[in-house]
Amino acid sequence: MAMENQRSEQIPGVDPNSMEKCPANVASQGHASVVVGQCSWPSSNEQVSVSWNYGANNGLENSTSLSSVHHYDPLRDSAGSESVHTGTASYPSASSNLAATNTSQDYAGYVPYSSSSYHYGYGNMEYQSNYYGYAQQAGYASYQQAGASPNSGAAYQSQSSFQNTGSYAAPTSYSGTYYASGNQMAAGYPNNSYWNGVSAGGYPLQYSNYSSSDTHSAPSASLAGAGSFPYQQDCNQWSVNYGTSMSNVNYTFEPGNIVNGTVPSTTFPVQSAIGGYSYASSQPPPPGTTSWKRDLGSSDLTSTKVQTDVIARYSKGIWEEKPPAAQNYHPNQNTVQFQIPLNSKPIVHENHAQSDKTTSPQGASLSLQVSSNIHVSQPFQTVATVDARRVSKMQIPTNPRIASSMTLGMPKLDKESSTTNTTAKPAYIPVQVPKPTNHVPSNDDTDAVIKMGVFPPTVRAYVERCFSRCKDDTQRAANKLMLSEIIAKAKEDGSLWTKNWDMETLFPLPNSASNAADQNTLQHIIPSMPKLPSRRIKSRWEPIADEKLDDKVLSVNHDTTKNISWAEKMNGSRMLENKDNGWKATKFYLTQQQTQLSNTTQRPLKKPRITDNLNITENGDTSSDSDKEQELTRHYSTAIALANSPEEKKKRENRSKRFEKAQASQVDVKLFKPKGSPVGNLYLRRASAMLLAKNYDDRSSRAVEDIDWDALTVKGTCQEVEKRYLRLTSAPDPATVRPEEVLEKALHMVRSSQKNYLYKCDQLKSIRQDLTVQRIQNELTVKVYETHARLALGAGDLPEYNQCQSQLKRLYADGIKGCHMEFSAYNLLCVILHSNNKRDLFSSMKSLSSDAKLDDAVKHALAVHSAVSSGNYVLFFRLYKTAPNLNTCLMDLHVEKMRFEAIKCMSKSYRPTIPLTYITRVLGFSSLVQTGDCEVKDANGLEESEEWLRAHGAVLIVDNSGEMQLDTKASSATLYMPEPEDAVAHGDTNLAVDNFLTRAT
Amino acid sequence: MAMAYISMGEAHRRITDFLNRFSDAISSQDGASLKPLLAVSSNSPLLFSIADALNVFQDWGRLLKQAERESQQLGEILAPHLRCIQSHRIGRFVDAYVSFEKSANAFLQEFRNWETAWAVEAMYMVAHEIRVLAERADKELSSMGKNPEKLQGAGSFLMKVFGSLAGKGPKRVGALYVTCQLFKVYFKLGTVHLCRSVIRSIETAKIFDFEEFPSRDKVTYMYYTGRLELYNENFIVADQKLTYALVHCNSQYEANLRMILKYLIPVKLSVGILPKMWLLDKYNLTEYTNVVKALRSGDLRLLRQALQDHEDIFLRTGVYLVLEKLELQVYQRLVKKIYIIQKQKDPSKAHQIKLELIVKALTWLEVGMDIDEVECMMAILIYKNLMKGYFAHKSKVVVLSKQDPFPKLKGKPVSS
Repeated sequence: MAMENQRSEQIPGVDPNSMEKCPANVASQGHASVVVGQCSWPSSNEQVSVSWNYGANNGLENSTSLSSVHHYDPLRDSAGSESVHTGTASYPSASSNLAATNTSQDYAGYVPYSSSSYHYGYGNMEYQSNYYGYAQQAGYASYQQAGASPNSGAAYQSQSSFQNTGSYAAPTSYSGTYYASGNQMAAGYPNNSYWNGVSAGGYPLQYSNYSSSDTHSAPSASLAGAGSFPYQQDCNQWSVNYGTSMSNVNYTFEPGNIVNGTVPSTTFPVQSAIGGYSYASSQPPPPGTTSWKRDLGSSDLTSTKVQTDVIARYSKGIWEEKPPAAQNYHPNQNTVQFQIPLNSKPIVHENHAQSDKTTSPQGASLSLQVSSNIHVSQPFQTVATVDARRVSKMQIPTNPRIASSMTLGMPKLDKESSTTNTTAKPAYIPVQVPKPTNHVPSNDDTDAVIKMGVFPPTVRAYVERCFSRCKDDTQRAANKLMLSEIIAKAKEDGSLWTKNWDMETLFPLPNSASNAADQNTLQHIIPSMPKLPSRRIKSRWEPIADEKLDDKVLSVNHDTTKNISWAEKMNGSRMLENKDNGWKATKFYLTQQQTQLSNTTQRPLKKPRITDNLNITENGDTSSDSDKEQELTRHYSTAIALANSPEEKKKRENRSKRFEKAQASQVDVKLFKPKGSPVGNLYLRRASAMLLAKNYDDRSSRAVEDIDWDALTVKGTCQEVEKRYLRLTSAPDPATVRPEEVLEKALHMVRSSQKNYLYKCDQLKSIRQDLTVQRIQNELTVKVYETHARLALGAGDLPEYNQCQSQLKRLYADGIKGCHMEFSAYNLLCVILHSNNKRDLFSSMKSLSSDAKLDDAVKHALAVHSAVSSGNYVLFFRLYKTAPNLNTCLMDLHVEKMRFEAIKCMSKSYRPTIPLTYITRVLGFSSLVQTGDCEVKDANGLEESEEWLRAHGAVLIVDNSGEMQLDTKASSATLYMPEPEDAVAHGDTNLAVDNFLTRAT
Repeated sequence: MAMAYISMGEAHRRITDFLNRFSDAISSQDGASLKPLLAVSSNSPLLFSIADALNVFQDWGRLLKQAERESQQLGEILAPHLRCIQSHRIGRFVDAYVSFEKSANAFLQEFRNWETAWAVEAMYMVAHEIRVLAERADKELSSMGKNPEKLQGAGSFLMKVFGSLAGKGPKRVGALYVTCQLFKVYFKLGTVHLCRSVIRSIETAKIFDFEEFPSRDKVTYMYYTGRLELYNENFIVADQKLTYALVHCNSQYEANLRMILKYLIPVKLSVGILPKMWLLDKYNLTEYTNVVKALRSGDLRLLRQALQDHEDIFLRTGVYLVLEKLELQVYQRLVKKIYIIQKQKDPSKAHQIKLELIVKALTWLEVGMDIDEVECMMAILIYKNLMKGYFAHKSKVVVLSKQDPFPKLKGKPVSS
């Protein structure tokens, strides 16, 4: 019924793939239930929950680093990593889930590359060989969670099958994430001072799972083809592992970059390579014990150069290793293809082609695969925005051991990817390596700069290059400004497409942030620059950043302690920071988005930014130590993301279309409008309030008062009187909420309506909902609840009545006027008749004021109580006939039971017979009010009572005078309580609740 | 005020003395001397003097450093404890409670590590104090219009304490005391359903031998569980438990006896056993006097009157519903009286009682019931086995069995 409706309504929603989302309900009531949607995949839907978790997780991370915008230079990255790695980013975003998923999986499997690996990760390279070997044997499936995967079992399976390499690719779409994730994940590692602090707690757990995952891997490998792989278990394990492995792939979706129309531009998988996978052997050593880590650390500290060397070396190693890997993958690719059909139609072919290439001995083939995937994803881009959000939340757990430091970077498909594919790469690498820090972050900025419109990929590369030089936020900000100018200029003079951007010289950067004052001024100068959190500045990452490139930069020595302390501080001040940054960042992004939107008309759906930003905002919070906390955060972040997702908005729009006329939906459309739209701001405001709320939960020490509840409250604008009830699955939309005056009319409409109870109940529920989301608590509220309670009583709908009653109790307690006495009586009757709990009874008796005891209705209820407690059926039915208000309705539900008790009592204590007329009278069958012993013959009543008696097994005889008599002795043995014939679960159309409830009591 | 006269030196001395006593008690595992140091709410002169000293010597944290140097755990117990004493003295009960809870948690942490039961007595004190302080804090909170939630917090702390005691070790004898504190909390909060889990582990866990517990705790335990049974109208079990409590309760504690009797009397009445009037007088349970009289004489009106007169008491203690059900016994008594009178007049026809006679009697008692209702009551009396016989509808006569027409309840409740 209602539920079904809701569902069906949602389905038509946005996604061609029929992806359905059940957004979380972050109603003002404070439930945030994260329900995730399900894709309507043909394949089984198992696993939803698991996958969801991943998603949530990811979201968390992503959101965490909202405040810090990182740019990532794919070019450099790929070069550095040597292994190619391409921006995976495009995939997730682009596709509806599946496409994204697949691609990312591929990448993950092949090249778990992490920018972090630059820093210390190089050590990992050594182990790559191990990794490969291992991968082959074990056939680890790395779980990738793209948006799609949660929904469809298929996705999972396929993943498992082809991801023997077992690295996780976590497609996180938001560049900001990079840091955060790094922090979070790495935390567990003792050696890793960088990462310190965030999620250290999780580590041991994850660890233990290692071995188990190993065992799993074997089956997975074997089953890969079959697709019947028990991925559920694996999933769980993976998720656990994931933390350990810390390989994170960040995908960024850039709506702006549709260079070729097919090729999504930026991708940057950020994989922080962390200890886990470095272990060649199947048994992972305890964290921190491995030598390579130490190497990493040392390399960090010493100099970039060392790193570079290391990288070069390793990268070579990688290349060498690759061929086998490629072979390995080949089989997997099939799976990929298999998946794709599910997701999207056209892609398959391309994929095949790609897979062929894969076979080639070169490591390059990997990248090829990637590209094929990219293609796939492309068509979906419109949809993708929606998905991107989701994807971002997804975490792809990697088998830590396997996750090698290889990265698939496909920066810009066209040019870059080709480069990547060719063997030429190795030469490339050493040069570019030194920049790891900035790679990741740069992407976002790149996005910011480039986002407005179609640009040649080279431009993008250029922008990314520029950003990669930036050491810190200040520089980045400045960079951004300048870039925007340059690009705008190029656009103006038409050189955008003609210029050789690859050759373009980089403009000088302002000095780095070592000078705080500078920073400040910079920040002032650059208005659009979000205020970055202090942590960003302190970040461990900075120092490593290009000493080579930027000579002026003072090498900031970030040592472990510093970092640790930072982490601690972060924990402590997270809340505060979030408040600020979350706000600002969100705002900032919004602006970004809006400009973007206004500039581009081509792109159908540009919403993702908002969501992204929200996610990122949340990211500031990632550093929770306990899983529980994380889960909570995840929960909220998901909820928020969902609430603000374009998909959701679209849905809302749909809804409003349904319920309201064009006018109303226009209001809704406003949401899509750029900048300054009050509604949009409201959303943001609300979102940030939610963040606060979430934070409140995280740290109980914060007072509830700190939450801006007003921001969460909606002021309705809908003028429609009639509105169907739909359970909110997201933050309420003002356009579909009716203001008080309209609600008053609606109430009147319901009261005077001639329609049936179901209709009225539905209407009243929607009124109640609107009242609740607007936090209206006044006499109107009371009236609505009273009306609904009465109607529910009339229909015997006790559950609904109970809801109203409990609300009323609260409202009356707040001193709002209403029919308090009437409802006290109902409450009393309810407890007396329908609850077995003696304590409830006397506590509600206790709570009666002495005034209340003088009220007729209450007196009646108390009299009913004493009749019931003594078993006085005569009195009970007398009261039944004379009940005030709707007391009768409540008593109705008890009548059957009372009659049966009475007839049992009579059969036992009367001899030899009882006239039917008497029974009819005392047991209330007669419609006439009985007075004394004048026996009124009421044919209807007699018939009814006879029927009832027979139905309950009574033995009736006719005596000499022709009067019907109950043979008590015979009856006492044969009486029984018949099963209610028409008892149905609540909700049947006839509302046969009477029977249902009677039986329940 | 007295504290004004304390010199800094004196304050210093007192505080160091207190700290020394505390740490000595712990290091020598002397529970008896530790116990009074924890009794914040006891208004003992010792703690008063400490509190005054703390208020004079505001920098007592410095003194604490020394204690902390010896043992960090000790510092974690003592710092909040001293703060608690200080806050309690100046009537800031919420602060006192919060500090005490911290201190108690630290203490519990240590307590878990002590294998012998030397500190059980001290833990009793902690359990008691946390409850008392929580009650005071809640009073303060609700007077400020805030949500009184501290008692709940105390409840969960006590659960933790229970967990630390419920083991095989020698400390398990302390479990019942904590259970009783929990009962007090839950009864006060009105969340008696939470008692069930504790009761289950006390009564079913093999580690506990009920007889092994101190009798003081056993009595308290039986008192509370008896009350619970009374609420559930399990009169037989309630009778057993409350009787146990009554018998084992130290007869010097008249207040305790009275509390037990308050619940035992309705239980006994429900199973047909009436107390002697002197008992009611002795323990000042006069609210039951008329109830008992009504039961003796079959005076329905008196019963209803008594219930109405003491409604608030009976509702508060939760026995109202139980007493209400005594009505049937009063009817039985009434009919029995009529039967006896009839028998005196004419033994041969005594077992047939005309309905109108009963109606007349009730009318005389000013209980407004018409003949249908009275007929119904007679049917119910027969149905519930308070009367043997049958009712003849045609002739409107109650026909009583010649043997034992009014069976006694004999310690069993009225069948339902």
